[in-house]
Amino acid sequence: MFALYKKELQSFFYSPFAYVLAALFMFIFSISFVSSISDLGSNTLKFSFPNIFYNNFFYFIFIIPILTMRSFADERKGGTEVLLLTSPLSVTKIVLAKFLSVVTVFLFMMLTTLFFPIYASFSGQVMWSSLICVYIGFFLWGLVCIAAGLLLSSLTGNAIIAAVLGEIVMEGLLFLDTFAGSALVQSYPKFNSVVGWFSMQRRFVYFSQGMFRLEDLIFFLSAAAVVICWNILSIEKRRWSHR
Amino acid sequence: MVEIKNLTKHYGKNIAVRNISFEIRDNEILGFLGPNGAGKSTTMNIIAGYLPSTEGTVTVNGFDITEQASEAKKSIGYLPEIPPVYPDMRVEEYMKFVAGLKGVRRGEVSAQVESAMERLHISDMRRRLIRNLSKGYKQRVGFAQALLGNPKLLILDEPTVGLDPAQVSEVRKLILDLKKDHSIIFSSHILAEVSAVCERVVIINKGEIKAIDTIENLERSMTANTILDLTVDGDTTKTIRILKDVRGVTKVSEPEAIGENRYHYQVELESEPVRNEIMSALVANQLGIVEMSMAKLSLEQVFLKVTENSGKKRSSLQDLLDETPEAPENPYDAE
Repeated sequence: MFALYKKELQSFFYSPFAYVLAALFMFIFSISFVSSISDLGSNTLKFSFPNIFYNNFFYFIFIIPILTMRSFADERKGGTEVLLLTSPLSVTKIVLAKFLSVVTVFLFMMLTTLFFPIYASFSGQVMWSSLICVYIGFFLWGLVCIAAGLLLSSLTGNAIIAAVLGEIVMEGLLFLDTFAGSALVQSYPKFNSVVGWFSMQRRFVYFSQGMFRLEDLIFFLSAAAVVICWNILSIEKRRWSHR
Repeated sequence: MVEIKNLTKHYGKNIAVRNISFEIRDNEILGFLGPNGAGKSTTMNIIAGYLPSTEGTVTVNGFDITEQASEAKKSIGYLPEIPPVYPDMRVEEYMKFVAGLKGVRRGEVSAQVESAMERLHISDMRRRLIRNLSKGYKQRVGFAQALLGNPKLLILDEPTVGLDPAQVSEVRKLILDLKKDHSIIFSSHILAEVSAVCERVVIINKGEIKAIDTIENLERSMTANTILDLTVDGDTTKTIRILKDVRGVTKVSEPEAIGENRYHYQVELESEPVRNEIMSALVANQLGIVEMSMAKLSLEQVFLKVTENSGKKRSSLQDLLDETPEAPENPYDAE
């Protein structure tokens, strides 16, 4: 399993792929960083990193499908899927190895954003406790999105289609919150609470406000686990059914 | 080594493989022969554990390929039709990755990778990106990969496709050499290859086994009906009528002109002594016998005989092979 994990990481870092995406992410992040500095009013010299993170997730979430699109789609396209599936590795381990490698790239990208608070701490004060909390939330939400991106990649043999489907699903995940907040849904309180429960954005808000709730931790982790299991099953199912 | 029992594979309503059973013995090279689209690759994919079968079992080295997949797969080295290589990796890097994937112990990785690369003469290419290799070299990298982990069973799906004639004979030698430590199942639609390398052959067509035997037995059993090569001077209709009148003649081929008023026929006989009666019948009717000899079916003819069921006439094996062009499994793999 480690061999596959290593190979996946190499495919990200031996090519410009991971660096370009990390640079893109940093670029977007720095724009919102600069704009929140320029928005500073004359009476309060405060801006909040959690807010920047919160805003950035809406951009970042669209980078994830690009990160995951090739994972399974390219294996199928290049015929290397045979190599993996005929190796002694189980499908579960294959999926986990791929998942963990994307998570590692994700951590690398999160690491690059540390530059901004460290920079800010030179000329001001940073509330590290709330920042750590928002990092945890960012990471957890990312896990779910990565799992979803991988699942979509395993459903098709074409990386581009996987990416486009991924963008649609990410958009759907974001829309869930707006949907839950709409007047129509709010007029049915029970339905609203169900939709709201699934809205990841609402849960992320707690993290960005510096609140670490066990409920949210369990929600994100179990959501990621469910999608990973779905991924494993979908690969198994495709082998067993006709193609 | 490997036991395949009542294997059936459906693709939706299509049946790719129908109830086939055979075994691969220890240290044996088994040829798997059939025209394109006969179900060779499907069967090999099932044996290698890539596709599950609809019905039937495959046991490799005592382990069931679906029930004890991980154990069974440890003793399999598989070279699929399309070599499973990553274009973005270097040859050595790829080999090391596959060694890790197959669970080769860390201390042995280098030695195994070296010896596999040595065997397929790709050591000079170790630093090259696989995407820049020619098709023949990619094929060899795929072959070398199958040797890693020292599997007892090697499954080779058309290992010589894309190689030039010198490389083909090299690979054949290699396969013969590998027999010492491995059992090998090896598919091909090229007969010469199979008869050069294999002891036993499984002939498959349209998903069904048509024959399993040694090459000698196959040739012998197919010639149970004696075939006579006959060249006669004289009118064809008369000759054919006379030949057909002789008791014991089962079939007379169309005459083939080979000279002025001289024709060649292939005559199938129930038994050899009928030959004498043919001779006297022809002589009695004043037809000149130019040549008469016993024919032996080559493996090629055996193959044609066991696979022919569409009723169409084919002039050569190549026609048969061209007839059902197999759609490439992966249309994107143009590289």
